[in-house]
Amino acid sequence: MKKFIVVLLMLMCITSLFAYSSIDELDGKNIGVQTAVLYEELIMDRLPKATFQYYTMPNDMILALTSGKVDAYLIEQVSFGVQKKNHPELTTLSEPAGYINATCIIGNNEKKDRLLSEINAFIAKSRANGMLDEIYDYWIADFDPDTDTCDVTGFTGENGQISVAVEGGYEPFSFISHGTISGFDVDFICRFCREYGYEPVFYEVPFEAIAPGVETGKYDVGMNIVVSAERNETGTLTDVYYKTPIELVVLGEDKAELGFFEKLQQSFYKTFIKENRWKLFVQGAGETILITFVSIIAGSAIGFGVYMLCRHGNKVANGLTNFILWLIHGMPTVLLLMILYYIVFGSSRLSGTWVSVVGFSLMFACSMIDMLRVGYNAIGKGQLEASTALGYSDYQSFFKILLPQAAHHFLPIYKNEVVTLIKETSVVGYIAVLDLTKISDLVRSRTYEAFFPLILTAIMYFVIATIMTKFVDWVEKKIDPKRRSHEKILNGIKEWD
Amino acid sequence: MPCRVLLFLSILLASAMWSEMIEIKHLRKEFDDDTIPLKDINVTINKGDIISIIGPSGTGKSTLLRCINMLTEPTSGSIIVDGQDITERGCNLNEVRKHMGMVFQSFNLFGHLTVIENIMNPQITLLKRSRQEAYDKAMYLLQSVGLASKVFNYPDELSGGQQQRIAIARTLAMDPDIILFDEPTSALDPSMIGEVQSVIKLLAKTGRTMMIVTHEMDFARKISNRILFMYDGEVYEEGTPKEIFEHPKKEMTRKFIQRLSSLTYRIDSTDFDIEAMNEELHSYGEKLLIEAERLSKLLLALEEICINNIASYSDTPDILVKIEYSEKSDILTMTIKYNGEYLDVNSCESKLFKLLLQEPTTGLSQKELVDDELGYHHQIVMTFKWIEE
Repeated sequence: MKKFIVVLLMLMCITSLFAYSSIDELDGKNIGVQTAVLYEELIMDRLPKATFQYYTMPNDMILALTSGKVDAYLIEQVSFGVQKKNHPELTTLSEPAGYINATCIIGNNEKKDRLLSEINAFIAKSRANGMLDEIYDYWIADFDPDTDTCDVTGFTGENGQISVAVEGGYEPFSFISHGTISGFDVDFICRFCREYGYEPVFYEVPFEAIAPGVETGKYDVGMNIVVSAERNETGTLTDVYYKTPIELVVLGEDKAELGFFEKLQQSFYKTFIKENRWKLFVQGAGETILITFVSIIAGSAIGFGVYMLCRHGNKVANGLTNFILWLIHGMPTVLLLMILYYIVFGSSRLSGTWVSVVGFSLMFACSMIDMLRVGYNAIGKGQLEASTALGYSDYQSFFKILLPQAAHHFLPIYKNEVVTLIKETSVVGYIAVLDLTKISDLVRSRTYEAFFPLILTAIMYFVIATIMTKFVDWVEKKIDPKRRSHEKILNGIKEWD
Repeated sequence: MPCRVLLFLSILLASAMWSEMIEIKHLRKEFDDDTIPLKDINVTINKGDIISIIGPSGTGKSTLLRCINMLTEPTSGSIIVDGQDITERGCNLNEVRKHMGMVFQSFNLFGHLTVIENIMNPQITLLKRSRQEAYDKAMYLLQSVGLASKVFNYPDELSGGQQQRIAIARTLAMDPDIILFDEPTSALDPSMIGEVQSVIKLLAKTGRTMMIVTHEMDFARKISNRILFMYDGEVYEEGTPKEIFEHPKKEMTRKFIQRLSSLTYRIDSTDFDIEAMNEELHSYGEKLLIEAERLSKLLLALEEICINNIASYSDTPDILVKIEYSEKSDILTMTIKYNGEYLDVNSCESKLFKLLLQEPTTGLSQKELVDDELGYHHQIVMTFKWIEE
């Protein structure tokens, strides 16, 4: 670890020797930008040879810059202000890359027209009475992450609930503070809701998932959408509610001053102790365990049921099953989840957690069917012939002779599938589930620290996976016919000598 | 008067004992790939019969056996068991199968169960016997097949012969009316065949109805009261062991029983390709482990008789040469049938051939043919033994 830090520091020194001073010097270099914010469009014409690298979380770009993966990155002036507090080595070019105008995007559902006019009216009124400037100064110009708070209460809800999609890991616009959602975007929409009698329900969604989620009508309002020509065509955007310059961030002359252990200590404090963030980790782990456990149980049951229907080669059942297997096996998990969340269950109010459970149950059911097929085929057909010839009925043969032997073949694969499933659940953050990975992302976005959140998350996945596999191990031993004692085999029988 | 009643009763009893048990009528099986392992099978199995089914590979022996308990579903025909046609839809096959035991070539003991459970569990599940009853029966049978010490072993820990004896015990535990043996010793090492055969022989003595598909001729001959010789999807010849093994009536049966293999050549022009025949004969000899020396003697005789003599008399020779080898008696036979001028083999001039004729292991007979099915007039038969008797 020490070696790594030394290398990192050296790298930082080397790169800082070649500090950039104007935008044009960056042509042909690597430039980081957050996915779906479209800031790259501002400088694309000036830097035709630059390569853009896309990051989901703004703070990952800091790491990318300090480790030399990118030479500069694009970010709003306001976010840079926050980053600079924790990373004094960062600096910006004197000339901003451009300006962005942020709007809200309105959900493509029956509330659309009403919400659009109400929010536009609210923006116009707030701009006139100075309220927009006031909260801009509070959250952005004079932002203090430790003391700034947002009032998320006082809703009458007389006109019902509205679902609001925010990034959630994007200080100072939307972030988790003391366990609750906070920030400029949140404050703005809360004020709107209080005035118009709504109750907001917040969903933390990655930026790139906000627009699609809103367009399918899943969310009523999506926050912090940068205006672009293309978006105006497909989405319904409100008027601009804030305008901010976009900076190009490069490495400056400043160096980190703290020693290694002090840094570690501070990092630990920020990651776990401050704002009781450990509670978030516990909550995230709980969500991951819930999704995994329910999906495994439901998936096993569904898989078994479908397998039983297909067992006799019913053409319709098999055709349908094979089609679904083909469909689900061929699709990346995150796509399956997003299709389920935004399209299949788009109009229902099923929470992301339960959509994940449905998605992973389906995936596990598919694996289960495959496992049962493999296990079944691994037993010679002589076993079925022998039991049939003795007079066992089909069900008796299956449950008394074939399944116990098939289990022996497929349980080891089952164990692997369980571990795979646990790991796969890390993508549920895409559909607004605050699982372990998403929590780790959110905490990292506040602390600007990668070490503890990443390592701890890895350890927690490891622990969950170990517990689950130990459980399957236990079941495997429990049902292994070859582990029974002689007494158990001849239980209740008077033995011959 | 009471004497007559007794007689009547004993006749009744006897007729009941030897009554028909299974009647197979016009049974036919076609597989999806257009092979027809069974063409038209008609067999009646009586109570107490021990029937061995023999015949070359791929003639439908196992398929017939598997059709009897409907493991393989026949295409047409009927199988009547105790007055009920089991090929009909709606027949409770599981109930029928409980009364028919089957012993497989590959044993098929349940791999996840111990020996004792393999014998106990079917009794408990299917015959609703108590665990104690099932255990007692299993132990009795294990003792009778000599494997009472293997109670807690799993099948994969036992030799093939032991597994097959347990498979027989498992079948017997169900008290079946008939036992079907599907090549019970084919998968066994030669050293284990004996132990399984002796268990089956013991069974035969108890008067149980059995049907056995086997390649072990001596075993079939000793154990059975009836032999079915199957050839090409049909019961080609049927009879007692004595009839089939000592006086087979039909050509294919005879060939099979004597384990004959044959090659046939027709020589119908003077430029007959003797080299090609030579080569084919050598690979035939290699396959059947016939000594090279014996083959060259046969070739010498063939060349001298057919090419140098008979064929040289005419521009359009008509000779049929059939070479047969009986593994059983270890005799290589060459039968030459021909038309045209009669040849006395003894008048051939080759010195080597004359020497060959004088050897005690060489046999010769020649005769005129009357009513030959292929229309030949003369025949020469030469036999080549390896060892002088």
